[in-house]
Amino acid sequence: MNDKSFEAKLARVSAPAPDPAARLRAKRAALEEFARVQAASQASGASANEKTSDEGSKGLWDALRLFRDDSSHGSTSMAWFVRRNLFAGVAGACVVGLGIAMVWPVFRNYGDPRLFEDLQPPPVTVELKPQAKPPTPELPKPVPQMSAQQATPAESAPTRRDADATRRESDAAAAGLKKDERQRIEMEVRANAQAEAHAQQREAELNDVLATGTREKLQASMKASGQAGVIDSITAEDIGQLPEPNQAESLQRVPLGAVITAGAATPTPAPPPPPAQQGNEELEEAIVTGSRAVRGGAAPHKGVAAPTGSGSGRLFRKKEVASNAVTMPESSLAIVVQPATMSEPSTPAPEEGRDKFEQFQVNSFKQVAEAPVSTFSADVDTASYSFVRRQLNSGRLPQKDSVRVEEMINYFDYAWPAATSAKAPFKPTVVVSDSPWDKGRKLVHIGIKGYEISRDQTPDANLVLLLDVSGSMDSPDKLPLAVQSMELLLSSLKPTDTVGIVVYAGAAGTVLEPTPVANKQKIISALRDLSPGGSTAGAEGIERAYQLAEAHFRKGGVNRILLATDGDFNVGIDSTNELKGFVERKREKGIFLSVLGFGQGNYRDELAQALAQNGNGVAAYIDTLGEAQKVLVQEAGASLFTIAKDVKLQVEFNPATVAEYRLVGYETRALKREDFNNDAVDAGDVGSGHTVTAIYEITPVGSATRSVDPSRYAKDAKDSRESKPTGSANEYGFLKIRYKLPDSNTSDLIEQPILVAPREVPANVQRDVQFSTAVASFGQMLRGGTFTGALTYDEIVKQAQASKGDDPFGYRTEFVQLVRKAKVAREM
Amino acid sequence: MDDQNLIRRAQGGDSTSFAELLDLHYDTIYRFAWKWCGHQANAEDIAQLACMKLANSLSQYRFQAAFTSWLYRLVISCAQDWQRSQQRHDHDELPDEEAMVDSPRHEDGIYLAQVLSQLSKLGEGMKETALLVHAEGMSHAEAGAVLGVSESTISWRVHTIRKHMGRPEARASLAYE
Repeated sequence: MNDKSFEAKLARVSAPAPDPAARLRAKRAALEEFARVQAASQASGASANEKTSDEGSKGLWDALRLFRDDSSHGSTSMAWFVRRNLFAGVAGACVVGLGIAMVWPVFRNYGDPRLFEDLQPPPVTVELKPQAKPPTPELPKPVPQMSAQQATPAESAPTRRDADATRRESDAAAAGLKKDERQRIEMEVRANAQAEAHAQQREAELNDVLATGTREKLQASMKASGQAGVIDSITAEDIGQLPEPNQAESLQRVPLGAVITAGAATPTPAPPPPPAQQGNEELEEAIVTGSRAVRGGAAPHKGVAAPTGSGSGRLFRKKEVASNAVTMPESSLAIVVQPATMSEPSTPAPEEGRDKFEQFQVNSFKQVAEAPVSTFSADVDTASYSFVRRQLNSGRLPQKDSVRVEEMINYFDYAWPAATSAKAPFKPTVVVSDSPWDKGRKLVHIGIKGYEISRDQTPDANLVLLLDVSGSMDSPDKLPLAVQSMELLLSSLKPTDTVGIVVYAGAAGTVLEPTPVANKQKIISALRDLSPGGSTAGAEGIERAYQLAEAHFRKGGVNRILLATDGDFNVGIDSTNELKGFVERKREKGIFLSVLGFGQGNYRDELAQALAQNGNGVAAYIDTLGEAQKVLVQEAGASLFTIAKDVKLQVEFNPATVAEYRLVGYETRALKREDFNNDAVDAGDVGSGHTVTAIYEITPVGSATRSVDPSRYAKDAKDSRESKPTGSANEYGFLKIRYKLPDSNTSDLIEQPILVAPREVPANVQRDVQFSTAVASFGQMLRGGTFTGALTYDEIVKQAQASKGDDPFGYRTEFVQLVRKAKVAREM
Repeated sequence: MDDQNLIRRAQGGDSTSFAELLDLHYDTIYRFAWKWCGHQANAEDIAQLACMKLANSLSQYRFQAAFTSWLYRLVISCAQDWQRSQQRHDHDELPDEEAMVDSPRHEDGIYLAQVLSQLSKLGEGMKETALLVHAEGMSHAEAGAVLGVSESTISWRVHTIRKHMGRPEARASLAYE
């Protein structure tokens, strides 16, 4: 293999998303297995009980033994052997004893003088029986005991051996390597049978989809590529299976200069479209190219050069061609590639995402002399990170505007010391370290971790799930994922919490009146009954959801609407400002809104952000079930229970020690200096256990690296100010945090100086400072890397690897993978 | 609620916890299985076997290693079992058909298939090492924990693999330690 970097390629290989049907199948099989194992273990649990009672009798046995036998503590077989000898001995003794007991009267009688006196034997025996009785009960007494003991071990020993055998079997199953052949075959047969059964079931469910079509297509395309003049052939179905994010990229694999024509490839009836998968969108697009080519009058037969070059450079959007897509199954198109007869390359450009993001300029260095105060609002959203991850996982660099560095930093949980009471919910951690981006600069980390409400203290929640079930949600990563996410959420709620469900599509409707979580099954079945269809009346849905939440308002509890959407609001009030105003008014009444974003291609991030910010909620983007787990289960407290509202941070830098500063990220969260003390100005909210981290890069006074030359004329003024005792020379600046407790409308203040002298920092905090720096570097590089200097992706990987820590959920490892993917994506 | 609690409850016989655990980890299992074999249907089979095995042997998880490491080990052993069984069955089925359906039509798949077959020629454990270290981004110590060998063995394997894949060390500046 003459590849330059197989590691990098290997790192880039990303598995396709699993088929939900296969997932379900595996889950069912595993659950059956689980039930079987549990039943078996209960049975073996019973035998274990027997074993313990046997242990008890063994103790008794030991006590009864004539001598203490230490060898029995050796191997079990030895013990068994010894015991068996003893059994034999004891049994022998019993027999002898019994014999004696029987003969004993005779001996006794033999010595009786009356025997000789009276020569009539019959009366003698009758007379003597009562006399013989006393000794007999004495002797036989041990006999039943003995035999009982004899019986117990003899019976239980096989049981024990059985238990041993089962244990060994399950050991073998665990080790997997030294396995029992028969057992494995059984397992396979079982799995096959189940797979078949489920496949049948699935076929019934999906109206008979499946693999034959693909195979036939393959044959067809092989036939096609066998023909003269044709190099390669790709059928529509193939493209549906391709891992590339869109068909344009698939087509790029075709040698340059080739002409793509469309033609009816096979006479065989085309299979219905493959089950909804990620490739769906691409599939439709591929077809469009073909049918447009046909429409455009290009000769629809393979082998004929067609003037499609100009047409296929551009692709129609999914929605615009919906009607074409519907007709696809009948037309069964194939794209056939032949050697170029035209010079025009026909590789369509990859589709630009239609996801909408707010545009903003990256913060740059500010002169402390000119603007010594930096003010911004806390941001605990994480949507940007998930979105970036999704883009990178599909092999593309994300749009620059989708990268918000602070959201990437705050995606991770850091070990900042937590506050201890709900009254003072924050304790800021300030750490100064050297900047990895520029030698002369320093980084100031400001970390706060919100007070964590313990699970039993959480207030009652009145949640209304507002689900978008419009046609645009019909994709495995949208509605089905949303439903699964909501099911996960139920597991993190208390039984007394209530959940209501409102859906919106063509019309909004209440699916489920608020129902206590104790009645989980009802909620789950309501969720599972949802199916996508129709257009999106987002605004109407929101109104309905608020009505429902208001009707079941819980005083002192959490009243929150969780909106799950792909961001497409195309009916009703769709003006962002109007919606924002609506959400804001409801916020005043105590009903908050959080937004969970799903899907890709049409995602309106800026709207999701705006709604969540105005609704005192978080905006999260859910691309996988793992992310749902993170947001809705692990961080459920943070997502649902606000511990502080309107959290604002303000740092005033000391001109005596700091020449310039730059806030990393938070561009969309900047506040005016005067807003800090104005309680009417809304800012970000922090949930239970949330960590918020901000990083400033500062240039200390006297450092050689200044981005801006010092002002020639302002210098004197600055000097004069320096001479005043404005700030001591041992402080870089002064941090102020303002926040409101959830039920308060006036803010409280926390203050802390940022000291020049390095302070002793615990190792885990130091590690997390490093890791967050790595994340910040990555985010900035994705945005163009204006301020990251000569830092490379490799160095970020190294730094992140070194500071990964325990990483119990694997998020940090995933980050490392993302950096590698970004590296590969950039090189391409 | 975290993995640990979930596992404990599943070990105690709570099937909803077990189902939740499956939900959480199916993706990981499937994706790794996919990387291991580079084929969707096979990956699904392996993932299903792994899930069943998880049901069987969850009680043996002792919380000594990270659960994911343990899970990787389980998937690997399932995958190996599966492959052995495939080799046995392959002779009965139509080999052409199998090969044809298997032939991945995309660059990733082709590349992966090539790399995987080369790696498995290198010796036992090589493929798994490469997948864990390069495709899953584990450190040598973590990969060692999964495969039950020492960290230095993994380092040696990675080195050998790199050597055999015939590329200069120059660009190996990636942080593998």
